[in-house]
Amino acid sequence: MAFPAQVEALVKQGLVWQGQQAPLHKSPSSVLTTGWPELDQRLGGGWLQGCVHELQLQLPFIGELALLFPLLSQPNITSLWVNPPAVPYAPGLSYQNIALSQQVVVQEPDDTLALWAAEQALQSKAVDLVLFWHATGLSAAAVRRLQQAAEAAQKTVFIITATQPEDDARAYAMRLRLTKSATAQLQVAVLKRRYGWSLPPFPCAIESRLPKRRRAL
Amino acid sequence: MNTWVYLHFPHLLLDYQQALQSPEQNQAPYALFESHAARRTLVQVNAAALQAGVKVGMADVLASTLAPSLRVHRYSLSQEQRVLTQLAQVLYQDIAQIVLYPPQGLLCEVRSLVRLHGGYQAVMTRLQSRVEQWPLRYCLSSGYSPLAAKLLAEAGTPVVTDDGDSVQQAIAALPIQHSGLAGSHIKKLCHVGFITVGDLLKRPPAEVGVRFGRAVMTYMAELSGTFKPPQAFYHPPDKFDEKVELSSEVSSWVQLLFPLKRLLQQAESFLQSHQWSTRALVIRAHHRQGPSTQVSIQFAHAVWQHHDLLQLSQLHLERQQLRQPVLALSVRLQRPEPRQAKHAQLLAGATTGQDQLSALVSRLQARLGERSVQSIQYTEDWRPERQGGVQPWQFGQQPQPLKQQRPCWLLPQVQPINRQQWQLQWGPERIVSGWWDAKPIKRDYYIAVDQAQRQGWIFYSQQGWYLHGWFT
Repeated sequence: MAFPAQVEALVKQGLVWQGQQAPLHKSPSSVLTTGWPELDQRLGGGWLQGCVHELQLQLPFIGELALLFPLLSQPNITSLWVNPPAVPYAPGLSYQNIALSQQVVVQEPDDTLALWAAEQALQSKAVDLVLFWHATGLSAAAVRRLQQAAEAAQKTVFIITATQPEDDARAYAMRLRLTKSATAQLQVAVLKRRYGWSLPPFPCAIESRLPKRRRAL
Repeated sequence: MNTWVYLHFPHLLLDYQQALQSPEQNQAPYALFESHAARRTLVQVNAAALQAGVKVGMADVLASTLAPSLRVHRYSLSQEQRVLTQLAQVLYQDIAQIVLYPPQGLLCEVRSLVRLHGGYQAVMTRLQSRVEQWPLRYCLSSGYSPLAAKLLAEAGTPVVTDDGDSVQQAIAALPIQHSGLAGSHIKKLCHVGFITVGDLLKRPPAEVGVRFGRAVMTYMAELSGTFKPPQAFYHPPDKFDEKVELSSEVSSWVQLLFPLKRLLQQAESFLQSHQWSTRALVIRAHHRQGPSTQVSIQFAHAVWQHHDLLQLSQLHLERQQLRQPVLALSVRLQRPEPRQAKHAQLLAGATTGQDQLSALVSRLQARLGERSVQSIQYTEDWRPERQGGVQPWQFGQQPQPLKQQRPCWLLPQVQPINRQQWQLQWGPERIVSGWWDAKPIKRDYYIAVDQAQRQGWIFYSQQGWYLHGWFT
């Protein structure tokens, strides 16, 4: 399908919602591969640079960090962890080939200061990735602010939070919900994405990076 | 050939105090006075007071009649000398040989700089632009001898040129009252009919010596440059601990930013003259009573430029409270270190990346506190809670951990669990360690899944079953 030039430009930037199953146009420079082929395929190439992603968790520690292992273990990626729910454990991270010296952890109970820290990190050239844990979900204004900062600096942000009500609109570019199925596999539902419809839950094979199970269930 | 330059600051202390305030505050007339018995005479006045008709040498009663809003403050010689030393430190960035003439003068040797800057005028421009960083009223004059330059600057008839003859003419035209001789000599010379310094210089020195004494003869030799008294050149100190007195009480950090900025500019010139940078400084606010408020500031990376120093200090100060009004402010630099040359080319990318990360960490630490910004640490110890953890940020290479299957999260406190709800997947791995200190452990670790099928790291010890970490 051919569009007029102006519309074409908007489509290239992913700003036109086309209601199609598979993304047509994607510029590989603006995506970071997730490391999971099934996820890459559905997200149109991977995580988006310059965007805020939301990961909603059915339960904490359900597999959110395992999902991000491939991204974190890329060399030359420096990340800021804001308010992680437990102590990031050096031997385990190192086992996953994550460079310890490139991780900065910030613990700040005050929301405004934590957001300030995230914004500072986005403005600095040193940090490529911000992981932000928040128990109840950020306000619309905070998300918009982070999204603007991320877009200006072309950095990727993940907000990791509990399950949010579906009718709460937020400026996230992508919202994923992580659940566990009866067969113990991690299920990823895409609630919102650029380029297309939301998607029903599908399994993601993060087990390949986790300790082997004794027997299949 | 004019080797010497003399800088005279007629209102040094007052101008300096005004420089520490915001421009709005300087609109009000302000003066410094000195007491002689019961009489209080003004010695330094600001521009606003001059406009109102106040003059130096006026009694303070008369002055406050002319300008009712005039604020007066006692002049302090020791403070002014300290300001002069600070000023010398600033000028030392451009000029190697400086002599202090307390309380208001600086003598600089410029001959040796002419080749460096490509001409006498260029040296002067540079010197002037350096002095003008400070809003001080000054008078700068060249001279073929230290005394000639000093007399011209103090008389307020400056000559800025490389040409010796024009200096000579200016000196010759100088009234004998401005000659800098002792009062009794001036009186004698006047009686004989010497009106200007030139009249005196025309006479043969030997005859003048016979008539007026040895002191006048030495003076003539010193003025012409044939006699060179030894000069005590200024050497910059190797510590920075400067204090400024504020002209009025201040009760918030915001109002202190102006003086702080000045102090940090001085700190920069101190660091610059030593080619140092710093990682820590202490800001102290002195109160009328009680101990001073002390704020110590650490930086994750070495800094030396005043805007970096100011920005980070500002973030620190936002977290501080002032309990009492402040009378004086001081800054002390700690742990200065030589600047490190950057590795060129090959590793340039990596180094700047680290620098930027350190700069970010400094900024975060300044606002959030040092303990809030952490790095993930690995220690060689078999006890899981010691093997890994977070510590306040420090940059550096760490030992490479062993490749072991370990969880990526460790709970800050172990949680008691109900064994029935967990399904063991792998184990046991027995860890017995720490018998040499107070916290020995003896545990069997298992990888297990809970009812929600999350993989956890649990252990059995004599106290029972506990959850210690998560793999996801």
